[in-house]
Amino acid sequence: MSGSKKKRISTASGWQMLVLGGLLLLLPTAAQAARISELVDTDFAQRAARFFTFQDASLRDALLGSMLLGGCCGMMGAFLVVRKLALMGDSLSHAVLPGVALGFLWHLSKDPVAIFIGATLAGLLGAGTVQLLRRTTRHQEDAALGFVLAAFFSIGICLFTMIQNLPGSSKSGLDKFMFGQAAALGREDVMLLAVVAVAVTMAVTLLFKEYRVTSFDPGFARSIGLPVQALHYSLMLLLAFAIVSALQAVGIVLVSAMLVIPAAAAYLLTDRLSLMVLLGAAFGVMAAASGAFFSFAGSNLPTGPFMVLSAAAIFAAAFLFAPRHGWLTRWWRERCQAARVRRENLLKAMYHALEQCSFITEQISVRELAERRRQTLEEMHAALRELERHGLVTVAADRSVVSFTPAGWQRACEIVRNHRLWELYLTRSAQYAADHVHDDAESVEHLLSEATVMQLEKQLNYARRDPHGKLIPGLADIQRGARVTPRDTEAGGML
Amino acid sequence: MTDLIPEFSWETVFLTPWREDVDLTIWIVATGFLVTTACGLIGHYLLLRRLALVGDAISHSILPGLVAAFAITGTTALWASMLGALVAGLVTVALIELIHRHSRIKPDAAICIVFTTLFALGVAMMSVLEAQGSIHLDADCVLYGEMTWVAIEPPLQIGGWTPVEMPGPVLRLLLLVGVLVAGIAFFYKELLLTSFDPGLARALGMRTQAWHYGLMGGLALVVVSVFESVGAILPVAMLIVPPMFAAELSDRLSIRMVWTVVHAAAAAVLGMHLAVWLNCTAAGAMVVCSSALFVLVWVGGLAVRRLRLRRVMRGGGA
Amino acid sequence: MESALELHDLTVAYHKKPVLYGIDLAVPSGKMVGIVGPNGAGKSTLIKAVLGLAPVAGGWVKVFGKSYRENCKRVGYVPQRESVDWDFPVSVMDVVLMGRYGHLRLAQRPTARDREIAMQCLDKVQMLPLANRQIGNLSGGQQQRVFLARALAQESDLYLMDEPFVGVDAATEAAIIAVLQELREQGKTLLVVHHDLANARSYFDQLILINMRLVAYGDTVEVFTPEVLQATYGGRLTLLDDVAQAMARRPALDSDRR
Repeated sequence: MSGSKKKRISTASGWQMLVLGGLLLLLPTAAQAARISELVDTDFAQRAARFFTFQDASLRDALLGSMLLGGCCGMMGAFLVVRKLALMGDSLSHAVLPGVALGFLWHLSKDPVAIFIGATLAGLLGAGTVQLLRRTTRHQEDAALGFVLAAFFSIGICLFTMIQNLPGSSKSGLDKFMFGQAAALGREDVMLLAVVAVAVTMAVTLLFKEYRVTSFDPGFARSIGLPVQALHYSLMLLLAFAIVSALQAVGIVLVSAMLVIPAAAAYLLTDRLSLMVLLGAAFGVMAAASGAFFSFAGSNLPTGPFMVLSAAAIFAAAFLFAPRHGWLTRWWRERCQAARVRRENLLKAMYHALEQCSFITEQISVRELAERRRQTLEEMHAALRELERHGLVTVAADRSVVSFTPAGWQRACEIVRNHRLWELYLTRSAQYAADHVHDDAESVEHLLSEATVMQLEKQLNYARRDPHGKLIPGLADIQRGARVTPRDTEAGGML
Repeated sequence: MTDLIPEFSWETVFLTPWREDVDLTIWIVATGFLVTTACGLIGHYLLLRRLALVGDAISHSILPGLVAAFAITGTTALWASMLGALVAGLVTVALIELIHRHSRIKPDAAICIVFTTLFALGVAMMSVLEAQGSIHLDADCVLYGEMTWVAIEPPLQIGGWTPVEMPGPVLRLLLLVGVLVAGIAFFYKELLLTSFDPGLARALGMRTQAWHYGLMGGLALVVVSVFESVGAILPVAMLIVPPMFAAELSDRLSIRMVWTVVHAAAAAVLGMHLAVWLNCTAAGAMVVCSSALFVLVWVGGLAVRRLRLRRVMRGGGA
Repeated sequence: MESALELHDLTVAYHKKPVLYGIDLAVPSGKMVGIVGPNGAGKSTLIKAVLGLAPVAGGWVKVFGKSYRENCKRVGYVPQRESVDWDFPVSVMDVVLMGRYGHLRLAQRPTARDREIAMQCLDKVQMLPLANRQIGNLSGGQQQRVFLARALAQESDLYLMDEPFVGVDAATEAAIIAVLQELREQGKTLLVVHHDLANARSYFDQLILINMRLVAYGDTVEVFTPEVLQATYGGRLTLLDDVAQAMARRPALDSDRR
């Protein structure tokens, strides 16, 4: 009791230390806050140190902004992925470009609020156009999305070049919207980002139940009287928010990556939408922060590509190593399974060898076993060594004969029992011919669970003989162990 | 706002380009026409296979191929970039397949993941190379190409001899369109069948997967050929919009192909004039015109159907 | 007695899909009604039209004497199993709780009572032990039971079910029928789209036989005759088909205006 209390106190003081330290770091930097681009140290390590000590106010803004947008995008991305709207994200993120340009034209400066409003409107207009195209033409969804992407983006590009040719306008601010520059995030941008993040989080939390049911089964959602269309557009509005919030740091071209990739990684790791939203947000934050770091440490490289590459690394890890859906984990599982099947087949061959000599001896010659399995002696020795490692057989010292351990005997009996029960089931219940059931049973014998076997036995009235007249090992034989031969061996020994 | 849209005058917008700098005008229009035609022709098959956005994906993901080809060979020679782009295009298609076949990620998300990652890789490589000072690839060029520069490039020369008096890139585009037209004419029925009914095609013993990869290879080739004139993002417009335009006007693939060519010509000429008027990028303006043409036939079609219906109703009432 | 479901001259037209043509129907409450017809006859479309999921071109639908919107809380729906993505990251319990959403306000969380009802419904279809499974890890029969449990959780008076017996094992089919019969005992009305003529007779009190138009509606013993079945399954009427296609084109234009 007192121990845990003490521990809690110590962790609390640890936190306080951290916060205090952070505050101490803040004090001097307020005075020497410099634009990141003005920094002159070019050493990678120096820049990395600078990054992690959070010395510059502008750097803190950039990092905070990146993390906010990463979280926002990851959260919305989860819905995009489960609704199969990933390409809608791509389309809308290109479609906001004319809105950005018009927002810029409002004051001829990079006013975050004007750009935000312009881009959101353009995004919604794009989403509406997709729906309209779908409803009034026979074009498929992909064509409609492609058209919106193309048409809006080209208008944006034209406006963009027109602005560049305007006398007296600085094009530097707008340029960053293409590939992103987290360093360009100012204090107002971060404030706006924070507002957007809070708004998106609130909307998602409040309407989570509705978004879940409309995403899973829109027909059912309509049938219980939910405003499915309105919810769809509200989701598109939130999506536009997320896209616009990410524009500056990630860039128009790559926003869709920040939407989809973290969420797709989360999709591989969890079976719950709520968890997926949280994980997506967490991955988004991680990717954005590390992207910002690499961009800063590598002397002001564009941020967007590095954020996307970090996200892609997270996705690749999930794709390969996810506990249930990972590619490598599944490959490994299949390999283990194949090895198990090989082991079980060898055990079965040993059982057959014993059966053939009516269980008179307990020992099987390795040579005979090798002939039976059509393998060379070396291969057989290797296979037996593996069985020995699993504690299923004991090989004699001169490696010429082999016998079951109790565990091995039990497993062998189980496999033979599964095989013969399945053969019997197929001939009796599915009316297969007796000579057509062996191959099927070969694969099924390794898959039957204990419960299924019980059911099978019950359905077959605890039959003792398989369709070929061989004895099916019963529970009693399995439990009695290798020392005692199965009953009725006089009949069971025949081929 | 008023400075943004220059004053419109027939004189400067429509006549001057053809009076002064006729050569430049002709070559810009020719480039636009050839690019739109090439993309449009292959775009039909993307649309039929519901792969419109795979075109988008490939046009983005050739970028790392181009940069890698440059980094490895040290030249910007045509064969190197073609090879790089082709490899990148096929890698994209293979990666998309890998992801959606070996996990529960749906194809749309797989496309999005693959091409954005590859594009990010390309941009990252580019900016690292640029920081080292070894190349200067313009970001603007990636985004919307440089049609005007393409049009003033010197003609292709073989050992001091000039075969045709046209800028090198335009000649290459012309060759590309020639190859495409020949390929489509030659394999018309195979491409049609594998696109329309892959099941039947497979039953007839055709290797649909090979045709798929072949088409994707062709797409990569088209996209890399048009890269220098229109960049990495606008090709998707030229892949999708002309076929959509043609689909509104005809139900037969061969006639749609003809409409694509007509549309390409109209978009190129109108786009050039728009670019002259608004003083903006020619490639972007051509896509705007191309989209506007589609909107015209789309809304026009709706209106005509509505009118016809009204006439029928009135006739029925009387 | 008030009809549970009343259709008057209902015409449904999709862009290129099968259509329903002038359906008149009044289903009394407390009956278990099968909807039977050949492929593409519009069985599912009929249900979807009632629910407002298919574009109604003419006629009207009344549920317990009111429009569907007003009475949607009194209707439970079991869609076809293929209509959803079974990879979707939700658990069995989440799906059954969705049945309670109709009784909750916007942005309101499900209460403890809702959870309790959902548990009871899961128990009724013997799926309680699997409540925390992801839905993709279930067999076809189990997935169908989850959908049934969700409809039960809606606590409705009229249930519309779209092919609940497709791709399920015999045990599940028996379990579903038992639950449906129990619902009928409680005075609920059930409309079930069914494709298997062999057992349609034993399952349902009444049958609706459709093939684009209503062929027959009545007590099973009366309408389940060779003549009626011949009329239902004996091919589509070509002329009706053509006219219906023409009708289908018109509402598509009307929907532009909406």
